[in-house]
Amino acid sequence: MDIIVNETPVRTSKNYGINNVKLNDIKIPEKLNEFNNAKIYSNKSKISNKIENEKLAYGNGKILEDNVYNNSNNILKIETEKEDIKIVYEFDDNNLNLINNIEIIGNKNCNIVIEYKSNTDKTCFHNSIIKAIAKENVKLNISIVNLLNDKSLNFEAIENTLENNSIINYTIIGLGAKTSITNYYSKVLGNNANNDLKSIYLGQKDELKDINYIVNLYGEKSNVDIDVQGALDDNAIKNFKGTIDFKNGCKKAKGNENEFCLLLSSKAKSKALPMLLCTEEAVEGNHSTASGSVDNSELFYIMSRGVSYKEAVKLIVKSRFNKIIERISDEYVKNEISDEIDRRLG
Amino acid sequence: MAKANIKDINRNIYDFKNADNYDFKIEKGLNREIVEEISKMKNDPDWMREIRLKALEMYNKLELPTWGPDLSELNMEEIATYVKPKSKLNSSWDEVPEDIKDTFDKLGIPEAEKKSLAGVGAQYDSEVVYHSIKEDLLKQGVIYTDMETAVREYSEIVKEHFMKCVPISDHKFVALHAAVWSGGSFVYVPKGVKLDIPLQSYFRLNSPESGQFEHTLIIVDEGASLHFIEGCSAPKYNKVNLHAGCVELYVKDNAYLRYSTIENWSKNMMNLNTKKAIVGKNAQVDWVTGSFGSKVSMLYPMSFLNGEGAKTEYTGITFAGGGQNLDTGFKVVHNAKNTSSIVNSKSISKNGGACTYRALVRINENAKNSKCSVSCESLMLDDKSRSDTIPVNDIRTDDVIFSHEAKIGKISDKEIFYLMSRGLSEEDAKAMIVRGFAYPISKELPVEYAVEMNNLINLELEGSIG
Repeated sequence: MDIIVNETPVRTSKNYGINNVKLNDIKIPEKLNEFNNAKIYSNKSKISNKIENEKLAYGNGKILEDNVYNNSNNILKIETEKEDIKIVYEFDDNNLNLINNIEIIGNKNCNIVIEYKSNTDKTCFHNSIIKAIAKENVKLNISIVNLLNDKSLNFEAIENTLENNSIINYTIIGLGAKTSITNYYSKVLGNNANNDLKSIYLGQKDELKDINYIVNLYGEKSNVDIDVQGALDDNAIKNFKGTIDFKNGCKKAKGNENEFCLLLSSKAKSKALPMLLCTEEAVEGNHSTASGSVDNSELFYIMSRGVSYKEAVKLIVKSRFNKIIERISDEYVKNEISDEIDRRLG
Repeated sequence: MAKANIKDINRNIYDFKNADNYDFKIEKGLNREIVEEISKMKNDPDWMREIRLKALEMYNKLELPTWGPDLSELNMEEIATYVKPKSKLNSSWDEVPEDIKDTFDKLGIPEAEKKSLAGVGAQYDSEVVYHSIKEDLLKQGVIYTDMETAVREYSEIVKEHFMKCVPISDHKFVALHAAVWSGGSFVYVPKGVKLDIPLQSYFRLNSPESGQFEHTLIIVDEGASLHFIEGCSAPKYNKVNLHAGCVELYVKDNAYLRYSTIENWSKNMMNLNTKKAIVGKNAQVDWVTGSFGSKVSMLYPMSFLNGEGAKTEYTGITFAGGGQNLDTGFKVVHNAKNTSSIVNSKSISKNGGACTYRALVRINENAKNSKCSVSCESLMLDDKSRSDTIPVNDIRTDDVIFSHEAKIGKISDKEIFYLMSRGLSEEDAKAMIVRGFAYPISKELPVEYAVEMNNLINLELEGSIG
């Protein structure tokens, strides 16, 4: 099946090839058995499996959204208590397809780490919707870690709602999958609400990373901060679309967005569309994007200490990624990420 | 707190209108008969007639853009695509009919010609009514004439370049332009000739419910240099007028071209203009653009850096007031080694106006060691207005230095406080900040436009309680 996913909230010329991404011959599984290799580490929060399926504001298109609402083989509703939660989905030969639907009701401050990893060489399929609401005065730290193998397909649709004085710190580690499509939308409704989104991506071979972050600011003195660090090698392609939309009434809101792409190959392609949309006067919005190869003076410095070229590049990439990886509360997962970067960069 | 009220652009000097006197006005709409009739009246050679008809076919095939401002008010059945004024082409202002001459007098064109220009072209509706160039430039082989004359007298060179930099399939309004184009300027600057003072073409649309489709073709040959200024305006009518001009610039190896535009169409104008430049080895094209008028503008000058070491700079300011939706920006394609581009864009939105900065930077695989720096700032003067930044950055090789930054916001309270602590009133402080915001761009506009600029951005502040 051919599908068009990850539409930007505002279109620009179709000749630029960034309004959406068309994927050909995608096999979307249906009627699946339950995903049997999911581990949930939680002591206090209430976890159930009944979710109201409300239509997403953006998401990855009707086909993939309906696929989650009609065919999920893993559903989790988490009503948070103050604790650290870890959910690990480990794909293996008997669990190659995961369609999961997660709803996080942020009643209390909570750290949540959701990890996807492959313990198989076969193609894995993952399609998910993760909705979170941070209630008044609540802080949620949510991390999504994608370590799927390089044959996999990964679709993520994330939707957040932030009430007054709430905080959502989101961390997205996008290392895995041959094709990885991420749609992230935050509705910052509350006054003084704060959405902080940091992510990394690493593209190699002929991988495609299509990233679409959208944050709408409605609340007074609301704030969003987006920082994306990435590296592309071989023939990898990355499309980064980041939108901060200052809605009328979000007085004294602030929005910052930064994306940096380190190009490790002359064949890699980096496309970016950082948008600022504004209908409110009393705001401050900034965005910046940059692309370039590894800085020669940095390389020279590291290599003069006896480090090989390959190791030096790895160090430079990791130094950019580490400040984001450090946000993850789980040490074990942090080490897994570090090992995966080492393995991928050889 | 007292709130500054920044006035709209003063349009009094542009909104005067003459009676709709014309020699011929083609029936409204667009079809093969109309295109054939325009071609016949222009006495086109066969190759040009064929381009027009092919372009009409393309126009009928292409869709309206699915992005950008709403164009639903534009109805081609209500637009006359060709209006021939009651004047032939003249080389002396004295021969231009009184009402038309009076128009250009009010716009200050003959005066500017005397003081600071090397040549002038003046178009009224669909035809150029006046063209002149200084004798010494003619002697150096510089050609500056209207497009119709160029098609007749410099047929080979026009044929080689016409609609080649901007292909007719580029978008629907380029196809429309190629089908019904009329008027415009042709400039050829021979190898090594450097013009010290600018040439200027001014386009005035007087006739209601009509369109202007002038074609500007400039070739700056190897090692030559030119500053070309383009101005345009129209009086306001209740129904939509259309401007779909086309500018093709060829800047050969080691040549330099500065292309300055003051766009001040009336607020019933759909300005759907296309401008592109092909830049050769170690050559440079600089675009300086002020967009102030129009109901809707979609205007994105574009540079193709095809020669090694080619450079381009874009400096633009857009000011949108009530009822205006100005979607402007810049496009650059790096197609060779060691190319560089610098983009500096500013916009001001007020009183319900909408400004969009829309752009493309593409650095292709063969553009090793290229550099691009983009800076884009938007100032919102009230919460009824809109300001969007929609840039696409498409980097296809690793050996580049690319950076893009954009800012959006209001006048900073800290800056006002600082200036007030130095004894300025709040209104004066705000006025100074807005002028300072616009200054890096406005200083790049042609000196001879300084007076007009002061009229265009009337940043006079009035006290009112907000």
